[in-house]
Amino acid sequence: MEALEMYTTDERSDVYTEELKLNLGPQHPSTHGVLRVELKMDGEIITDSRCDIGYLHRCAEKIGENVTYLQFTPYTDRMDYLASMNNNLAWSLTVEKLMGLEVPERAQWLRMICSELNRIASHLIAFGTYGIDIGANTPFFYAFRERESIMQLLERPSGARMLYNYIQPGGVRRDVDDNWIGDVLAFCDEFEKRWAEYNTLLSNNYIFIKRTANIGILTQSMALDYGCTGPVLRGSGVRWDLRRDVPYLEPYDEVDFDVPVGEGTHGALGDCWDRYWVRMREMMESIRIIRQGCAKLPGGEVMTKKQTSMYKSPMKAAEGAHAYMRCENPRGELAFYAVSEGGTSPIRLRARAPSFCNLAVLDQLLPGTMLGDGVAIIGSLDIVLGEVDR
Amino acid sequence: MGMNEREIHALLTASGIDGVGGLEQPDLDPTVVLQPSALVEVMTLLRDDERLAMEMLHCVTAVDREDRVDVVYHVCSFARHHALTLRTSVAKPDDADESWHPEVPSVASVYAAADWHEREQWDLLGVHFTGHPDLRRLLLPPEWIGHPLRKDYVYPSEHGGIPLELDAVPIYERDEREDTPPVAEPRPAGTPLNQPPSAPSARPHAGGKAPAKKEGEG
Amino acid sequence: MQGLIDVFANLLGTGPTLSMVLAYFVCIHSLIGFITIYAMFAIWMERKVAAHIQVRLGPMETGGWHGWAQSPADALKLLFKEDLIPAGANKFLFWIAPALVFCGVFTGFIVVPFAEGIQIVDLELGVFFIVAIASVEVIGVIMAGWSSNSKYSLFGAVREAAQVVSYELPSATALLPPVLIVGSLTLGDFNTFQAEHGWLILHNPFMPIAALIFFISSLAGCKRAPFDLPEAESELVSGFHTEYSGMRFSFFGLEEFVSMFLVSAVTATLFFGGYTLPFDLLSIGAAPDVSLFDWLSGHAELGQVDILGSLTHLAGPAVFIVKVFVFIFIQMWLRWTLPRLRVDQVMVLGYKFLLPWALFTVVGTALFEGLGWGWCSHS
Repeated sequence: MEALEMYTTDERSDVYTEELKLNLGPQHPSTHGVLRVELKMDGEIITDSRCDIGYLHRCAEKIGENVTYLQFTPYTDRMDYLASMNNNLAWSLTVEKLMGLEVPERAQWLRMICSELNRIASHLIAFGTYGIDIGANTPFFYAFRERESIMQLLERPSGARMLYNYIQPGGVRRDVDDNWIGDVLAFCDEFEKRWAEYNTLLSNNYIFIKRTANIGILTQSMALDYGCTGPVLRGSGVRWDLRRDVPYLEPYDEVDFDVPVGEGTHGALGDCWDRYWVRMREMMESIRIIRQGCAKLPGGEVMTKKQTSMYKSPMKAAEGAHAYMRCENPRGELAFYAVSEGGTSPIRLRARAPSFCNLAVLDQLLPGTMLGDGVAIIGSLDIVLGEVDR
Repeated sequence: MGMNEREIHALLTASGIDGVGGLEQPDLDPTVVLQPSALVEVMTLLRDDERLAMEMLHCVTAVDREDRVDVVYHVCSFARHHALTLRTSVAKPDDADESWHPEVPSVASVYAAADWHEREQWDLLGVHFTGHPDLRRLLLPPEWIGHPLRKDYVYPSEHGGIPLELDAVPIYERDEREDTPPVAEPRPAGTPLNQPPSAPSARPHAGGKAPAKKEGEG
Repeated sequence: MQGLIDVFANLLGTGPTLSMVLAYFVCIHSLIGFITIYAMFAIWMERKVAAHIQVRLGPMETGGWHGWAQSPADALKLLFKEDLIPAGANKFLFWIAPALVFCGVFTGFIVVPFAEGIQIVDLELGVFFIVAIASVEVIGVIMAGWSSNSKYSLFGAVREAAQVVSYELPSATALLPPVLIVGSLTLGDFNTFQAEHGWLILHNPFMPIAALIFFISSLAGCKRAPFDLPEAESELVSGFHTEYSGMRFSFFGLEEFVSMFLVSAVTATLFFGGYTLPFDLLSIGAAPDVSLFDWLSGHAELGQVDILGSLTHLAGPAVFIVKVFVFIFIQMWLRWTLPRLRVDQVMVLGYKFLLPWALFTVVGTALFEGLGWGWCSHS
């Protein structure tokens, strides 16, 4: 890879100035993982930037060609490790579309509730770590207090605290215990009170607004051109949410919720504060969805009968079939593309990760900003390197 | 809301662009087949036409099949609530080996999102996108040799001085098991704790030294 | 100080010069001891305050009761750490920078009045001396950042240079109103004045503004949040002390807490009464007519010693330290609540906002003093 040129002459004056070449990452407190951004800086101002990814590449797509459809589900957990349920869901939907599997109703509602709980957990981390990026170390601890409750709730049906492997092709792995719904509703009550606390502490803080408003302004056309989805796109004013517009789970059709978009409240439309505020309001919308889901949860089976065990004859798809399925993850639209030639594993498996596409816009947003702003912009895109690199 | 894939396909064929093929897999996931030469024109039409208004290129995937290499594009429209899958193919010549790179025109001039997607497909599958502004590796280190997602990819025997021993047999073909999880065998005495019991104890390390055994453990 | 010299002269029979040397030796070393123990305590307090703000407990295990031994344990650990010097670092500057930083701040303590007479030296230019000597640490920080041969350290050093030097302006200007009212730069005079006339912060409407401006500017001078850019952890890894480890690193940490004390001490002395209580309650901190030192130095009999006066004299440091710790607590509270300002926003705040208001308070105070107005009467 060609490195950025080290020495340039300042064309505006006769003085020879050396531009500073700074490496942000791969080990850095604020790059949300192992991301390396090569920066060319003129003092504090970034004049050029290049993203260098691949530090967390774990060959998931190659592995997908060698394991069965069911066996790939844990690998999807580890792509966006903060939204495992949503990843499992996207993969399960792709496989079900490819093979024409029917999912029982109870499983669909449980899938929705678990996905929304995981969405809240993921946005809590985005909120907490964004505070740390900006310099406020305290909201992180409050966010983790709530996240702990969610992890304990999700541990009960799935058995794991973070990488669930719970939503599988055909349904969900096992049913929830009797008290689970009651505890979920208790959590919802608790969370609503805490949400107000977070806003007092960070969202309406004058310094936080000064650091994030009018920073990293992403126009609608740029967002669409670069393939940005999720809160990044909604922060720029595009009111699109797959859950409402292309419902991939039937229960999403039957619940009421709003889709928050950025409105340029404290600065231009599409700045960091808008994206942050979209995530905050999405947490409250998820609470609404969870409450309605818990109220309407039907009884019945949780796994389709066609699903056979991992060790006996694994499922096969039709020869020559290929399917693409999109799903609304906390970070954007995750999509899986599976191509089958009749075997027990796909011959090509592609994961279209939302953070991968959202990150592409970084090289356009960084130049012209200061280093502190750069950190704020990376934080507002809310990337997870696990799914950028896969 | 928007048009379904058949209608879009009809619109594309009616546009008169040379190279638009048929609609494949109409019941599962309808895909419009294209010639590579028609790619940029069709993409431009998809983006600019008012009725189609495909604002976003969602994904670019290259698929290494036995006789050809497919490149699959997924575009979607937020204004019109519809999406489309397109596929172009380049046939593999008989003497295709790791130095053969299928050539497909790049759509980076139409959709900026294609920039990174096409770089990744070049990186992993070796599809050369002509007209791409900066086609270089994205995920793998720049000095990597080969395109790993190809079916004929040979794993390197060493990387950076560290030898690699890889078992390429898929997991489920190793032995026929019943529906019980495997039971771990008891660890033989003297096996170091950081190796599974079945690992060869004389695993070669960089520098040729065997791992030190822990006394009194294992 | 004269009393202590006389004590040594009397008890040990040494000549005037040697007694003076001994007296200063004892005082300075007890001050160093006090500072070190205070720094350890302040680090523990910071961790506890941070923890309770963050809904957790902080140190609980080390030493038993609420982890009181955490700081000494950390100090011991840092002593044993490997002394790493980066390969391309300028060794001499790298070595001297922490020393310069710490000594610069510590020297300011020789004029801090803990009670009447309990002061190393009551310089006539006390206020000016503190403001001047606190800027020596800037040189140390820049040296640290430059000599580390690391771009992140360089960033921290340059930000430090810009920030601390800029904020000395509003800081010093905000100290002028109290000086105008009291009419002297000597720190001891502030205490005696406020004992008679009440706390300076209540003297006219400009004084609270001046106190606030000084407090905020001093936060910037101490590199505390929301102005902790030079060591902005989430941007610069550790800023100018990225490459420092072990005891060298602990010097920077100590410097931060010691300068917090210094700044709080100046605030307490100049605005909030120093070692006296309002309305000269109990004459706290005032030296008695006949004190223990007089007895020890042979100038008076034991029966003549004013015991109550001595006790209230010694209560002066206690009152003073309580006030200082209130401000230190507020500084810690702000650090864990507020996010960090960006470097150009820091400059804008300092030059375009704090400095004009500081000048406004100076002009306003001068006007009030000239016309004889004021909220508290004073002759």
